[in-house]
Amino acid sequence: MVNDSGQLYTIEGLAAGLIMIATAYIVLGSTIVYTPGDTHIADMQLETLGNDALRMMDTPQNLSQATGKSSPLTTILTKTTSGSSDEVSFDGTTFHDKFSFYCNATAVQQNDDNIQFYANVTYRNTSGGLGQYFINSSRNMTGREHAVRVTKWVKVDEQENWDRPQFVLVEVLLWRA
Amino acid sequence: MNDSAQWIVLLGFLVSLSLFFLALLINQSTLVGQTTAEGVLEFPKNDIRDTRDAIISIVSEGGDPDSLCDDIRKISLERKNTIVNCTISGKTVVIHYNNGVTLYEETVHV
Repeated sequence: MVNDSGQLYTIEGLAAGLIMIATAYIVLGSTIVYTPGDTHIADMQLETLGNDALRMMDTPQNLSQATGKSSPLTTILTKTTSGSSDEVSFDGTTFHDKFSFYCNATAVQQNDDNIQFYANVTYRNTSGGLGQYFINSSRNMTGREHAVRVTKWVKVDEQENWDRPQFVLVEVLLWRA
Repeated sequence: MNDSAQWIVLLGFLVSLSLFFLALLINQSTLVGQTTAEGVLEFPKNDIRDTRDAIISIVSEGGDPDSLCDDIRKISLERKNTIVNCTISGKTVVIHYNNGVTLYEETVHV
């Protein structure tokens, strides 16, 4: 007659083996998902932050700006009277300071984060085609950055080579470095 | 057949099963974070709001509607691969937005 002692051990061994194989399968599968999932979440947060910063910069800061329908961002993009008359002049320094300040301040302190940006503006030239100007950047781009893009429409009344009040698109690339 | 300590073996079996389900939860939770973030990234909420804001401000703040709409249409197509069209007649604005994934239509009386 077949000896039937130790049957429970056999069943337990089988069950344990199955569970270990299943667990190994899940663990291996989850590592493949992990990396892209993480970058998407970081991208989303960076994009939200950048959009908020641009929106803050395009909000009037006081009553005279509100009645004049201007904002820090329109002031930056509008031709400065002190500049030479035939050159495009942006206040890139102010853009750099404000944008970096808004992006890198945390709840704890200022300049606590290390977010970098590269900003330019797309406009319509006098013949109706498109042109692009560089505004400012916090760092030169190498092309290896994992950047997200945020944009904002700004109405600018006066600038060299722009023959009328027009909507221009401010585009900012954001990345952590 | 020796059948002592069956409870201990059974409890061990239960614990291992619960560990298996915990692993399953961790596996699914990363997937949830990814799909949520992808959904947020793919839906052009800020883009639509911003475009809508700009178009409505043409009526509320004045300016040449034809050339200003043309700015938004041409720059959107070139820089965002997005078809934007706006028709302004008096105080009525018709906005059309399509970036290939999301379609947005609005008729608004300013």
